[in-house]
Amino acid sequence: MKFSVTKEKLLEALQQVQNVVSTRTTLPILSNVLLQANETELHLTTTDLDVGVRGTCEAHVDKAGATTLPARRVFNIIRELPSSEIQVDVDGKNAASIRSGQSFFKILGLPEDEFPPLPKFEGAKVVTMRQKDLRDGLRKTSYAISTDETRYVLNGVLFSFKDNKVTLVATDGRRLAMAEIELEFPRSHESDLIIPTKAVTELQRLLTDDGDVKVSMANGQIAFDLNKTLLVSKLIEGNYPNYRQVIPGEAKERVKLEREMFLNSLRRVSLLASDKSHSVKLNFTKNNLDITANTPEVGEAKESLAVPYKGREFSIAFNPEFLMAPLRALTEDEVFLDLIDEMSPGVVKIQTPFLYVIMPMRISS
Amino acid sequence: MWRFCNTVNNFGMDKKCVQLWQRLSAALKPQISADSFKRWFSNVALVEAKEKSITLTVPNNIYQLWIESNYMPALQNAIIATLGSSRSVKFCGPSTTGAQTSSEDVTADKQALPAPPVDIRPGATVPGLNPRNTFESFVVGPNNEIAHAASLAVAQAPARTYNPLFVYGGVGLGKTHLMQAIGQFVWAKRKNVKVIYLSSELFINEFIDAIQHSNLVKFRKRYRQADLLLIDDIQFLGGKERSQEEFFHTFNTLFDGHKQIVLSSDRPASEIANLEHRLVSRFEWGLTAELQPPDIETRLAILRKKANAMQIRLHEDVFQFLATRIRTNVRRLEGALMRVASFASLSGKELTKEVVEHLLKDILQEEGRQSITIEQIQRRVAEHFDVRLADMTSKRRPASIAFPRQVAMYLARELTKASLNEIGDAFGGRDHGTVLHACKLVKKRITEQDNIRQTISYIDSSLQR
Repeated sequence: MKFSVTKEKLLEALQQVQNVVSTRTTLPILSNVLLQANETELHLTTTDLDVGVRGTCEAHVDKAGATTLPARRVFNIIRELPSSEIQVDVDGKNAASIRSGQSFFKILGLPEDEFPPLPKFEGAKVVTMRQKDLRDGLRKTSYAISTDETRYVLNGVLFSFKDNKVTLVATDGRRLAMAEIELEFPRSHESDLIIPTKAVTELQRLLTDDGDVKVSMANGQIAFDLNKTLLVSKLIEGNYPNYRQVIPGEAKERVKLEREMFLNSLRRVSLLASDKSHSVKLNFTKNNLDITANTPEVGEAKESLAVPYKGREFSIAFNPEFLMAPLRALTEDEVFLDLIDEMSPGVVKIQTPFLYVIMPMRISS
Repeated sequence: MWRFCNTVNNFGMDKKCVQLWQRLSAALKPQISADSFKRWFSNVALVEAKEKSITLTVPNNIYQLWIESNYMPALQNAIIATLGSSRSVKFCGPSTTGAQTSSEDVTADKQALPAPPVDIRPGATVPGLNPRNTFESFVVGPNNEIAHAASLAVAQAPARTYNPLFVYGGVGLGKTHLMQAIGQFVWAKRKNVKVIYLSSELFINEFIDAIQHSNLVKFRKRYRQADLLLIDDIQFLGGKERSQEEFFHTFNTLFDGHKQIVLSSDRPASEIANLEHRLVSRFEWGLTAELQPPDIETRLAILRKKANAMQIRLHEDVFQFLATRIRTNVRRLEGALMRVASFASLSGKELTKEVVEHLLKDILQEEGRQSITIEQIQRRVAEHFDVRLADMTSKRRPASIAFPRQVAMYLARELTKASLNEIGDAFGGRDHGTVLHACKLVKKRITEQDNIRQTISYIDSSLQR
């Protein structure tokens, strides 16, 4: 195999795939990146057996072929190369010679047939959606994924295909984020799939604002084809909890808030939320919201916001991190906070189909 | 397996549970909003209330998730208000309601998997401890009285008497029972004491996991802050060098901090293969107590106690029969009792010796195999070939005596665990080469001559009966 390629293009392609490579792996081949050169293109593939990513990069191929090379090492070398033109020549023993300007590297690789192939998706159910929609949906939900490994069904985002909608859900038991994407698909494609955290994170890195993504689902696997790149992941087996049960009924009070202002105030006040209870209190009075926090023997913080509020006066406490997470992820200027009373969950909403349920904390005073 | 005792008071239990749940609900309601109560608790029912735990049935897993994440403090408050002390709360799915108490253990185990042992609070049980394994349910006999007394002393005054306590003995003799009894005794007696019980295999796995995810600090913190560390089956540490090193430091930290350590193994510390000397010497530092197979009186006592606990009635002869025939292993003894009892209750037939013998055929055969001695073999072979028993050990060797002797040697090799030397000694101080030759010869003749094969298999089976 022999090809030449520009540094920028190769680096970009490597960046797309190298995150999947696990630093601690049981199989040496899994720390390698599979390089396959055909007439005009170079394909790069990495996998950790759960998640696999395949990227493409334009190259001038002199001799087609394939090999695998240590991903992290190659990435570090390419990044440091002095010239923008790179020639790679791999001999029959999988030893790669990398030339660029005055530099020469020889890297020993492993044969390509040892590399585990990505799963095939023959006869899979396929839907196509806009990359932007999926990216938005994941951004609005993925922060609520549970990190508690004992509840493994929650270690991912639920993709629920139903009624010409894809509903994305993530929860950790104390909060729940849900977003919907309108999409046309046949009834036979209706299903619930749980995409693991790692795949979600990688997917978010790969998705762009333009173009479509082709989603294929078949026997425990899912593939996201982004034209030039492909991400394949195992699904989490099991039943996702019935999240609809969590969504509270009709709200008593609705408060319209300037997202950024609210977020900044929360961030400042939370500096004095005690490590132990870690809560900030929202005190609603007529046209005013006071955000307070205090830590015994340390001090307290208070910030007032003018808000259009006409309801009864009351206070409710939340974990500031949990309240700030959706505010950071959203891009809308205004958000709505729906509340029932101090002991019922609050709901963050926007104009589009999204909601975020957050459980209040007990007010100890 | 608890079919016998539980079905009896099942209906009474149901009613009690409903009442208890009503009281709990009343205590819970003011603590959470009306909507939340209706949403999360109106479809929940209490199916079981025990001394240390209660079990709730929920319509599906979101209930468990949400209640565990958000309403546990409120629920515990309600439990303390109505029952006086806290309980650990278990959840199970809707399928196991009502009369199926027999499957409770299964569902509880299943639920224990997704719900992690978060219940490390006073009142909850120590994860991994079986509440049935207490000192009260342990039958003491001459075979285990030292181990029992030492365990009790340790439980009453942890880290003051024998530290570490090292208990060893064969399978099914009560090592785990004693360790868990210590754990529960200490747990019940003293509040805010951190008891950790685990098998060495789990220790190793967690250690590997900690290395993998580089949170060794958390791992160390977990074990080095224990007040009582119970590690079962420590022999599995053999050959695991890094784990041994880690355990060595854990051991030292705990020991220097005057925390009790209890270890169990299936063999003495010095005989555990590939165990570092510094660990061996530390294990032998405190008290080493051996558990031996129970004698017949103890076996009888165990059977009676078990039968009582399970509310099984059996004839005295059956107890006698079981105690006489099953000698080596308490677990097997219990299994046999269970089998006999379930047969009796399912078929309703009367239990005669023949019935029981048929029922336990496989167990008895297994037992028989272990208890065959060289002397028995010699006697049986001498009887069969009609030679004198003394000929087995004598120096004479006409063919009429030599061949039966060789057969006996061959059987001794096959049926006992004795070494060639031991067999040679038992046959009048013969050389191990002689025994080896005998075994080879007999093996060869078995393949060549049908009548010899038949003779030997007949003696073999008559010995094993």
